[in-house]
Amino acid sequence: MARFLAVANRKGGVGKSTTSVMLAHAAAAWGGHRVLVIDLDTQCNASLMLIGGEGWDKARRAGHTIADYLYDRFDKVAEDESEYVVKNVGDVAHPRTGKGQVSLLTGSLLLEDVQGELFLKKAQRSNQSDVVTAEVRSGLKRLIKHFGMDFDLVILDCPPGLSFAALAALDLAEKVVVPFRPDYVSQFALDRVALLIERVDTAGELGEIPFASRRYVCLPNYLRGTGRERLLIDDIGLDHPLLKARLPLLDSVARSFDWDEKKKTMQEKYADALPHLKALYDEVLAGPSRRAAVAV
Amino acid sequence: MAKTTRALSGAAKDAYFRRALEQESGIDMPVGARLLDRLQSGVAQVRVRLDAGSGEPGKVESGSAETAPASVSSAQEASLNEAFDPFALNVILVLRTRGRDAVLRELEAIQSASSLRLLAREQQLSIGTELATLAEIRDAIATAAERRVANRKAAAG
Repeated sequence: MARFLAVANRKGGVGKSTTSVMLAHAAAAWGGHRVLVIDLDTQCNASLMLIGGEGWDKARRAGHTIADYLYDRFDKVAEDESEYVVKNVGDVAHPRTGKGQVSLLTGSLLLEDVQGELFLKKAQRSNQSDVVTAEVRSGLKRLIKHFGMDFDLVILDCPPGLSFAALAALDLAEKVVVPFRPDYVSQFALDRVALLIERVDTAGELGEIPFASRRYVCLPNYLRGTGRERLLIDDIGLDHPLLKARLPLLDSVARSFDWDEKKKTMQEKYADALPHLKALYDEVLAGPSRRAAVAV
Repeated sequence: MAKTTRALSGAAKDAYFRRALEQESGIDMPVGARLLDRLQSGVAQVRVRLDAGSGEPGKVESGSAETAPASVSSAQEASLNEAFDPFALNVILVLRTRGRDAVLRELEAIQSASSLRLLAREQQLSIGTELATLAEIRDAIATAAERRVANRKAAAG
């Protein structure tokens, strides 16, 4: 069964899709993992990064997006769902002999509409909204979990809002990476998403949970190395577990997500961002504790 | 005759290097971090140039005890701020970990109104412009930090 890793933050523009795609490439290239990226964001940025505009449009026209999958299969027993998955995506070349590869369940502009329809469908059978909500959420969770059988790692690229799919993803994820920009309002977004992930209502309750027991970990992103952001990160570190890995604001990261059909090496793709990605990968997916856990 | 240079060592020297590198937007963070580490560990003391007419930063404003000086020239202000790192003390962090008294104690070490105001501005701690003494500015900084913390707590629900 695959491990499920969510990349989430209620704030937009913090690098969720960037982080998802970078980790997917790293896990396939360095860990030899069969990785599935599930694009739960209606902006579809991860999809555009991995298969380009034409590839995304093709999946959309074929009815092979996340919205199609959830709608088609919601009341059915999941079977072989591989038709919804685009294999060998991204522009990093992986050795033919290795099993490492990135696949994609393509994002859809209609995902929010579909979730609304599923809610209404369920609501016809019950007039208790919390029951309906729980049913929709657990139904989506079951459908997302289904892909765990065919992959080693499933990365859930979450939307900024709190859709049913996003909540299902957060329920399912064994670990949640929360990228953030070190600015004033980001603190509030982190505080709120942390409550959601840990399923508590107040900052006080969250504070009772030791960092080591929390499912989420925060990733400082878009760093420019200023004193102000250093202070803010130190402050955030009092309330939330922080990764040691940091992602600086680099042109190489921004450039690496221009869609390119030509496959390249990790070095060519990520250039001077590579050491930062390596540190992130080691800490999130291949750190000493992970290796120990695998050995056991 | 006024001094035209000032020797910096220890934390002041480290802060000077950090600030100088932070002001250079063209340096990538990893390169900047390596450079900073090399400079901080490899250089024991630096002598920085003050603008003509400015005095020794530590002595300029300490003459009249707790009164914020009104007659410091803009050149002197610039020199003082040049040597001062407004991020060396994390006011919010100190407040949250050690309390208001600790913040005030730490701020005592800053003997310049312009440096205190620079710290407040850079750390987004809103203080009034009408404050007359150093003690008032320090107090206002601590109060602004408390408001920031309370604000965040309220927003978290």
